[in-house]
Amino acid sequence: MTTTEGKRATYKQRYEAGDDGLRFQDLTYTGNFVGMEPVTDGIKGDKMMKARAKSGVLEKVSKDDVLKDQFSIDELNDLNNYLAWNIWDVLVMRATEGESGMIPRQEYEILAFMHEFYRWPEILRMTTAEVGGAQGVMDIGASARREIGTKVNSVHDWAIGAVGFGMGRCGLLALETIGADDYIPESNEILKFMQRVLWGKRQDGYLLNSQDRYRCQIHEQDFLDQLVAQVEPIEHGSPKHSAFTQFNAAAELLSFLDHYDCRLGLGDTGPYELPDGNILILRDLFVNEEVFHWSDVCEDAKLPHCYTLALVIDPNRMGLNEIRVNDISTTFTRPKNYIEAIVGGAVFAREKWNTPMGEVYPIKIDDLGEHLERVRTATLKLYTKTSKMCRRDLIWNGQYVYYIDMILPHLRKAGTYEKACRDYDLWEIDQRVSNYYYDITKRGFAQETVPSKIFSGAGYLPFSDNADLRNSKGRWL
Amino acid sequence: MADVLAEGYNVFDTSKSPSGTVKYLSSPADVISLIQSGKLQEHILLVRGGTTTFLAPALSMGAIGVITMSGAPESHLGILSREFQTPCVMTAHLTGSDSRYVVGATSDEHFAEIARELDGKKVRLDCTDDEVGRIVADD
Repeated sequence: MTTTEGKRATYKQRYEAGDDGLRFQDLTYTGNFVGMEPVTDGIKGDKMMKARAKSGVLEKVSKDDVLKDQFSIDELNDLNNYLAWNIWDVLVMRATEGESGMIPRQEYEILAFMHEFYRWPEILRMTTAEVGGAQGVMDIGASARREIGTKVNSVHDWAIGAVGFGMGRCGLLALETIGADDYIPESNEILKFMQRVLWGKRQDGYLLNSQDRYRCQIHEQDFLDQLVAQVEPIEHGSPKHSAFTQFNAAAELLSFLDHYDCRLGLGDTGPYELPDGNILILRDLFVNEEVFHWSDVCEDAKLPHCYTLALVIDPNRMGLNEIRVNDISTTFTRPKNYIEAIVGGAVFAREKWNTPMGEVYPIKIDDLGEHLERVRTATLKLYTKTSKMCRRDLIWNGQYVYYIDMILPHLRKAGTYEKACRDYDLWEIDQRVSNYYYDITKRGFAQETVPSKIFSGAGYLPFSDNADLRNSKGRWL
Repeated sequence: MADVLAEGYNVFDTSKSPSGTVKYLSSPADVISLIQSGKLQEHILLVRGGTTTFLAPALSMGAIGVITMSGAPESHLGILSREFQTPCVMTAHLTGSDSRYVVGATSDEHFAEIARELDGKKVRLDCTDDEVGRIVADD
């Protein structure tokens, strides 16, 4: 019995052109639009941001647009403004969570943001060249359409532009080490890579889930059908429901922990409407990322790289009013509790990141008990291990999670990860960023200044009217 | 009607209404110690931050209820408590105090006051309202 009993599903109204969606929060956004009507969250916020754009880059764009070598200044500014709003939309309430008590996340985040902005451009440029140009990058994105358990997903693709460009540039502006018109070709390099991967993945002209009323419906129908055929019905309140949902939660928790309390460990796609009116969410939970040395406890527990869960939700059982699969791969609903409305499920495992899709195998829900124990064992060991690490190690480990993992799947697909390590010192820490380590604790920079600039949108300064597309960093003054 | 000692954001709507003695956890060692005591499920867990890693093993091992002094349902802990169906009230404030959590501008005394007032009390969580979660005296 839930508190939502008796309500009816109205979520499909959110997909009607004139609908502005629900408000998931009372806060409003200003960003670079001082003096104008405050922007809301959700579908209405997306509409407002599109209406304020000077270019067409936020509308459905063509393949020819994506193949162009660079954006114009107006397009760069429109992307900067939109990503700033999008970051606020998905993260502003999370900004209230304070200190972890375990991992210094604000500290590692800002170091990673800045590192990405400095170091990714040449690595992404090399990767683009190695895959034969823009089409090769679009093909990396398109690979996600027929795979599960791949990190070429919303959060990683979004992170290239939103984090590497948006937050990275914002952090360096806040630290006053760059000016608003510095590093323009580098900004173009990052954003073009993001645009190409996302366009290739979605294939509908949009880049972000928020541009499509928070839908991430990327999979080909015949591929989806194969997965849905494995779904087992789950009776409400049954042991199967408990086994499935507890496994979902425990694996999600470990994916957070293995990725240092960030969402790179999970990835939702959907919602996909099924023939019987129920909706499907596909959820990748990356419980063992071999590139992290601390993930050895997950390896010891014999955990696969990824579990993928198919969650079938009855929208009428919960009186679903809106469902958002946001750009950081997390599903939120109104009402908030969708767990009790799960009426079907399936679990798949992918042993390694490069296991062929044909070798991804299903696990029956009745057999999840053994996997749950493995997940719990790894969780406790990883927690104990992490709790013994010194602050500096925690910060740099976390920094690696962002700086390496956000582009790792794309480099892996491109076959350029080893080259990036060998020829571009991917795992080395740039001396500028290394020095910033000492600056971020001064005057509350990591804890207060940066979050306020990033989450309010105030720090995303636009490129000026005098900006030159060729301008990198001409002077240190 | 029982006294509402504190209230905050309700992470998800549920008819579950766990009761137990509030246990303030201030360090990972506290979390490990509680799990090793075998008494995890006798307690409503009170934590300062709204992140999930700090409480990871407690959530995984079956915590019955959580109160945080910062964070929101979109926080990682909010997401995970919903997935575990562990009732959770976030950014709780004492109903008998004017002190409120403000991002980046909250003194240690705010947290200390909440911990002092709630730690050791027998309470019940009421999470039936869509938005507001309540911590109710259960003596």
